[in-house]
Amino acid sequence: MGVTCVCQVPVAEGKSVQQTVDMLHKKLEQLGAIKQGNFWVDCETYHATGNATGQPSKLLYVMHNSETPLSSMALFEGGPGLTADANFDVLMVKLKSHFQNAKGHKVESRGTRYRYCDFLVKIGTVAMSSSARGISVEVEYCACVIPGDCWNLIKEFMQSFLGSSTPELPAVFTNKAEGLYTPVDCMDTMSQYLELFGKVRKQQVLPGSGVR
Amino acid sequence: MSGGPAVRVSMESQCERQVQEVSLDGLETYVPPLSMSQNLAKLAHREPWSQPEPEEDEGVWGVFYCGAAACALKFQPSLWPWDSVRNNLRSALTEMCVLHDVLSVLKDKKYMALDPVSQDPSTPQVFQLISKKKSLATAAQLLLKGAEKLTKSLAENQEQRRQRDFNSELLRLRSQWKLRKVGHKILGDLSYRSAGSLFPHHGTFEVIKNTDIDLDKKVPDNYCPLNVQIPSDLEGSAYIKVSIQKQSADIGDLGTVSLFRRQPKAKPGSQMWHLKLEAAQNVLLCKEIFAQLSREAVQIKSQIPHIVVKNQIISQPFPGLQLSISLCHSTGEKKIQRASPDKSKPDDHLYVLEHNLHQLIREFHKQTLSSVVMPHPASSPFGHKRLRLAGPMAYDKAEISSLQQSEGLLEKIIKQAKHIFLRSRTARTIDSLASRIEDPQIQAHWSNINSVYESSVKVLITSQGYEQICKSIQLQLNIGVEQIRVVHRDGRVITLSHQEQELQDFLLSQMSQHQVHAVQQLAKVMGWHVLSFSNHVGLGPIESIGNASAITVASPSGEHAISVRNGPESGCKVLVQFPRSQAKELLKSDVLQEGRWTHLRGPYREVHWGRMEGRNFVYKMELLMAALTPCP
Repeated sequence: MGVTCVCQVPVAEGKSVQQTVDMLHKKLEQLGAIKQGNFWVDCETYHATGNATGQPSKLLYVMHNSETPLSSMALFEGGPGLTADANFDVLMVKLKSHFQNAKGHKVESRGTRYRYCDFLVKIGTVAMSSSARGISVEVEYCACVIPGDCWNLIKEFMQSFLGSSTPELPAVFTNKAEGLYTPVDCMDTMSQYLELFGKVRKQQVLPGSGVR
Repeated sequence: MSGGPAVRVSMESQCERQVQEVSLDGLETYVPPLSMSQNLAKLAHREPWSQPEPEEDEGVWGVFYCGAAACALKFQPSLWPWDSVRNNLRSALTEMCVLHDVLSVLKDKKYMALDPVSQDPSTPQVFQLISKKKSLATAAQLLLKGAEKLTKSLAENQEQRRQRDFNSELLRLRSQWKLRKVGHKILGDLSYRSAGSLFPHHGTFEVIKNTDIDLDKKVPDNYCPLNVQIPSDLEGSAYIKVSIQKQSADIGDLGTVSLFRRQPKAKPGSQMWHLKLEAAQNVLLCKEIFAQLSREAVQIKSQIPHIVVKNQIISQPFPGLQLSISLCHSTGEKKIQRASPDKSKPDDHLYVLEHNLHQLIREFHKQTLSSVVMPHPASSPFGHKRLRLAGPMAYDKAEISSLQQSEGLLEKIIKQAKHIFLRSRTARTIDSLASRIEDPQIQAHWSNINSVYESSVKVLITSQGYEQICKSIQLQLNIGVEQIRVVHRDGRVITLSHQEQELQDFLLSQMSQHQVHAVQQLAKVMGWHVLSFSNHVGLGPIESIGNASAITVASPSGEHAISVRNGPESGCKVLVQFPRSQAKELLKSDVLQEGRWTHLRGPYREVHWGRMEGRNFVYKMELLMAALTPCP
C-alpha cells in the first residue's frame, strides 16, 4: 500500500491505443522495470431509484481492483466511500429495488504490471463495452504512505518515461481536509480512477479503436 | 431429781437485729430496734386507708382501733423471746433426767442389765478375693467395652481419612487432568486432542486406588493413595534431538541415535502421578512432532530428498552439512546404559530448535482449533480470522499471502536450522579474521533484535587510534536463510551466498580498501592534497581476491608526493617522490637549463614499509607524512 497517482496518457498522433501502450512498455523495460503479471480495475454504475423530487439521481459506483482481490469499493462521486469484502456485490443484487445497475456504463482498465524497485507501474487500456477508449497509467510508490513526502519523487519518476504527459498533484490529495501529510487510503486510488473513467466516458469514441 | 453439781448451760441469742455497719476494726453497729410507736406506725402504713369505707367515720376509727388492738394482740404470744429456748432446755433436762435414772437403775444390776450388741465375724480371705475379683471383672468389662468402642471409632476414622485422602488426591488430580468415570474405572485423557491435535493416539490413563496399606506400619515418604497407570508405549521420557553435523554419517549408522540426557529434576511438592502424567504427555507430544515431521519428509518434494530411518530424519540444508532430527525415547530401564561410542559433544543438540518445534506444533494445534470455532459475525465466511478482514481493510496480495501459511513443520524447521547455521558460521568467519589480522581492526556489532529467519550484524573496519578519521568502511550484513546481503556505506548492495569463503574474501578486500581510504582521510587532516585515488586499479599484478586500490597524495609545499598501492593479496607498496634537486642519480641534461626546474618532483623511491616505525599502517603513514613535511 503506497501513494498512487493515476493519470491518463493521450494516444500518440497517428497511432492506435495498442501501439501507444506498447511504446510505454518498451520505455519501461528500457528503464529496467520487470513485468509482474496483469492487473484490472473495473467500475459499475448504479442509479439510486425512488427519487421524489425528480433531481438527477445520485450515482453509486462499485469498483474492484486486482491489487485488493478480496475487496469491493463503493463510492459516490466526490462523496463518501466504503470498502467491503467481495460479498458486497451480492448485497447490491439484493438491493435491486433501490439501486439499479446501469449495464451499459461498465468501465474497466486492464493491462500489465511492472515493478521497478519500490515503484509499481500499471499501464492499462480503458475500455467501455469492449471498445478501447484511452490509456490509464498508475504509478504507485510502495515505500511511503504520505503524499506530501514523496510527490516530488513520483513526479520525477513519471517524467522519465511519460515525458510531457506527467500530471500535477492529484486533486484527491489537495482536497483532503487534513492536508497533504495524512496517510493515503485505497479510496484515494479509487477516486482517481473514477475521475479518469468519468473523463473517458465523456470523451467521444476514438476513431479506429476496435476490440482489444 | 437429785441435786447434782450444777451444769452451766451457755446460750446465745440469735442476732435478731440487722447489722447496719461493720466498722474497720470489726465492731458491728446494729440497727436500733423499732419502738412500740414506730412499729405501730409501720403497721398503720400497711393498712389500705385510701379505699373509701361505706361505714361512718366512726367506723373508720373503729377499724383503726381494731387494727391497733390486733397488733397489740399479736404481740402477746411472742411476749418473751426466750420462751422457745426455755422449752427446749426443759425437754433436754427431762431427757437427761431420764437417762440419769436409767443409768442409776442399771448400776444396781438388779432390775436392768446391759448386753453388748453382737458384732459380725470377719469374712474369710477367699471370699474377699472372689468378691474383689468379681467387682474388678465388672469394672474391667466396662472398661473393655469402652475401649472397644474407642478403637472401633478410631479405625473408622482412619478408614475415612484414607478414603478422604484418596478423594482429596482425586480432587487434586481432577483439577489438573481430565477424568471421566466408565463403569467402575476412572479413566483420564492426557492427549492434546482437546487442544486441537489430530494425532490418533488415545492417550487414556487409568486411576488406581492405593489405599490398602497398613497404617500401623511406617508410611513410606512418597506414599500416595492414588496411582495412575499410563499406556505402555508412553512410558519413560522422550525428547527431540536436533543437531547439525558436518560429516555425513554412513547409511549403516543411521537410526542408532539413542543418546539420553538426565531426567529433569522433579519440582518439590509435586505428586508422583503428576510427574508420570507429565512425562507421558511429553512423550506423546514428541511422538506427534516426529510423526508430523516424518510424514512431511516423505510427502514434500525437495531437491535433496530427506531420509527417514527408524527414529531419525536426516536432511541436507547445505552441501556438506547434515541436519538430523531424532526422537529419543528411553523407557527408564536402561538408565545405566552409556553404550554409544560416538557420544558427541553435549552441546551438539540445538535446544532452540527443539523448543521451536514444540512451539510450532502447538501453533498448529491452535490453528486447527480456531478453524472449527464459529466465526463472528455469523455472516462472515469460514476460514482464518484475519482473512475476514481482508475485504474491508483492502489487503493487497502480499498481505493476503502472508496470512495464508502453506509451509509445513519440516520446512520451517529446516529454514530455521539453515539460518542458525549461517549465522554461526558468519560469526566464526568474522571472529577468525579479527583474531588473525591486527591491522586494520574489524569490529562486529550484532543486533539484539532478530527473527527466526533473519539476523543482522554491523561490521566496522577501523585502524587503531584513528577511528574517528578512518571510518569509511561500514558494512551492514543481513543474514537470511540462505544468503547474506551486505549493504555498504556508500550504498552498494552485494548478495553473498552461504559459502564461507565468499564472505572472507569480501572482508579481506574491504580491509585492503580501507587502508587506502585511510590515507585519503589522513591526507585531509595533515593538509596533504589528494592527486589521484582509485578503488580498483587496472594496473599491476592481478589480485585473486577483489582489486587493488591506489592513491597519490602530495605534500602541502608540493615538493614530495606519496603513492600507495594496496591489494588484499599483494600487500601494500609505498613510493615517495622527491624533488629533482634531492635526487642523486639524476643525469644532468642539456634540455633543462634553468634552476627552477629542480624544484619539481622527480623520480620515485620505494619505502621499506616493513622497516618503518609504527604500530599500524596509518600510523606509519602519518610518520612518513610528517617526515616529508619540513619544518618552516
